[in-house]
Amino acid sequence: MGLENPFVPYLATLKSVVELTPDIKLLKVELLDPAVRAGFDYKPGQFALLSAFGQGEAPFGIVSLPQHRDGLEFAVRRIGTVTAAIHELEPGDILGVRGPFGNHFPLEDYVGKNIVIIGGGIGMAPLRPVINQILEHRNDYGKLLIINGARTPQDLVFAPEFQAWMEAPRTKLELTVDRGDEQWRGRVALVPNVVKEVAPSPDNAIAITCGPPIMIRYTLAVLKELGFRDSQIITTLEAKMKCGLGKCARCNVGDKYICQDGPVFTFEQISQFLEQP
Amino acid sequence: MNLFLSKEDLIRWLDALLRQRVLVAPVRVQGLILLQPVSKVAEVTLDFGNTTLSPKGWFLPPMETLFSVQSNDGQQKLVPTTIEKDAVIFGLRPCDARGIALIDRPLLREPSDALYRERRARTSLIGLSCRQAQPECFCTSMGSAPNDPSHVDILLTEIDNGYILQVITEKGRALLSESFAEYKGTLPKPPEPGAVPTKEVVPAVKKLFDDPYWERLADRCLHCNICAYVCPTCYCFDVRDYSDKGSVERIRGWDSCQSPGFSRIAGGYNPRVTKGARLRQRFAHKLLYFPERFKDVACVGCGRCVRSCPVNIDIREVLRDLQQLEVKSGS
Repeated sequence: MGLENPFVPYLATLKSVVELTPDIKLLKVELLDPAVRAGFDYKPGQFALLSAFGQGEAPFGIVSLPQHRDGLEFAVRRIGTVTAAIHELEPGDILGVRGPFGNHFPLEDYVGKNIVIIGGGIGMAPLRPVINQILEHRNDYGKLLIINGARTPQDLVFAPEFQAWMEAPRTKLELTVDRGDEQWRGRVALVPNVVKEVAPSPDNAIAITCGPPIMIRYTLAVLKELGFRDSQIITTLEAKMKCGLGKCARCNVGDKYICQDGPVFTFEQISQFLEQP
Repeated sequence: MNLFLSKEDLIRWLDALLRQRVLVAPVRVQGLILLQPVSKVAEVTLDFGNTTLSPKGWFLPPMETLFSVQSNDGQQKLVPTTIEKDAVIFGLRPCDARGIALIDRPLLREPSDALYRERRARTSLIGLSCRQAQPECFCTSMGSAPNDPSHVDILLTEIDNGYILQVITEKGRALLSESFAEYKGTLPKPPEPGAVPTKEVVPAVKKLFDDPYWERLADRCLHCNICAYVCPTCYCFDVRDYSDKGSVERIRGWDSCQSPGFSRIAGGYNPRVTKGARLRQRFAHKLLYFPERFKDVACVGCGRCVRSCPVNIDIREVLRDLQQLEVKSGS
C-alpha cells in the first residue's frame, strides 16, 4: 500500500512525568521522528490521541505551547482503562500520538479584550495553554482573570504555575475548593458562586470555561446574569472519540462532529445544536 | 452497447474472473445468503432476493487489524495492514452499490480511511438488477432503482434465457476478457418497490427533535444493534487494542449508536442516556445530519432493518409518522 494511514500514530517517547494531583499527571512526550516533530504544529485548544499500546487510544488536549518546541505536554487524569495505562508509563517508554486535531481557541480574535478563564478540575487542562499564550503576549490582551476550582487544594491542577500567573501584569488568580484542609486559607466555594462574587464585567470581555457539566451549567447562568452574551462565552467539549478524523461518528452530537467542528465552541453555537452535548 | 450472456457464458466468465482475482459472490450458507469469497463458481447462488448482509463488510470489515505493534530488540515498530489483492464483487444489488457510494463520502473524504480506500480501489463491482422487489424494499424512494447502473462497474440484468450485460465504467470494461454477442433487444421493465416519503421529511426531523415520539418509538427497542449490523450505510466503528502473548494489535470493528455506552465518556458522563435519544440519533443521522454534510439521505431502501428488527421498528413507518406529525404540528 505504502500510503499514509491516518490511524497509525507517530511514535513518541515519554520524556518526563510530573504528578500534578493525586490522579493527574503532566506528561511531556517527544515525537521520535525529527521530521514529524518539526512539522507538528498546533494551537491552544487542539487535541491529540495518545496510545498506550495494548490498552488503546484516547483524546487529550495539548497543554503545551507550540513555540516552545520542547515536546508536547498532556495533563492526564486517571479515570479509565487508557488513562490508567498511560499513568503506568515511565520516562523512556514509547507511546503513540495522532494529531493535532480539531479547531482551536481563536485567541487572534481576542486581541485587545479582557479575558476571563473559568476552569474546574481537569477542565483546567485545555485552558492552561490559553493562559500561558496570553501571558507570553501579555500586551496584546486586556485584563486576565483566572478562576480555578477543584474538589480539594490537592486537586488544583497547575499549582506549580500559580505563582507565575499571580505575578503577571494585569492578571488575577482566584482559587477555590469544594472542601478545604488544615493548610488551606483560600476560598471554600463552588466555582459559579466565585464568578458571581468576583463579578467580571462583560464589557469588551471573553469568558472561556471548561469543567464538569454541572459547573458549566451554573457558571453559564451566572455569566448571563452578569451580562455576558452567549457569543462571548467559549468552551471546549469533551466527547467519546475513536478516530479524530470525522469518520467513526462517536463524537457526533446533533449535526456536529466534536473532533472536526470543535472541540471549541461558543455558547451561541452550542445553543443552536439540535442535541445538547 | 449492451451485451448478451447465456447462462453458460456467465459461468465461464465468472470462472475466468476467479482465476485472476478474489471473486466475492452470493453463497447460500445455512439459510443465509452471504457475499463471500468463493473458490469455485458452483458455490455461487443466483437465486436470492438480496444478500442477508450488505456488501459494506468487504470494504469495512466487521473486525479488522489497523496495525500491529512489533518489538525488535526493544525497538517498537507499527506495521499497518496492507491490501494486496484485487477483487470483484459479483451479484450485489443496485441499492447496495448505492450504499457503498454513500459511505464513500465520509470514509474517502481527506484524510481518507486508508484500508477502505485501498479495498475500494482494488475491487470492481458487478451489479445484478432485481427481477422482483421484496416486500420491504423501497429503493426508488431513496434515489436508487432495481436496475440502477449508477454505482457499479458492470450491471447484469437477468432475462429468461440469460443475462444482459451493461458496461458502466472503464473498470468494468477491464473485466471483460472475451467478446460477447451484442444484445439488441430492450431492457426488461424493472419491478416497482414500495414508496415512502423521503427528502420532504428532513425538516420534520429537525422540528420534531424534542417530540415525545422518539421515546415512545424506542420503548420497545432492545438495543440489539441488528439494524446497524445489516445496514449498508451504517459505518460507525469502534477502535480497540487487543493484546495476546506479547503481540499487540489495534482493531477496528463495527459499532452502533444504539449501544448505551456509545457516547459515554471516561468518568461516566453520557450525553445520550435514554433509548429514545439513541434511536433518534439513528434516524437523525440518516435523515438529517448525513444529508446536511453529504447531500443525500443515508438510506438506500434495502429493507434489511425492517426484515431484521425483532420488535418491528420500521423505518418506513417512522418516515410516514414524521410526515404526519409534522402536518399535525403545523408548518
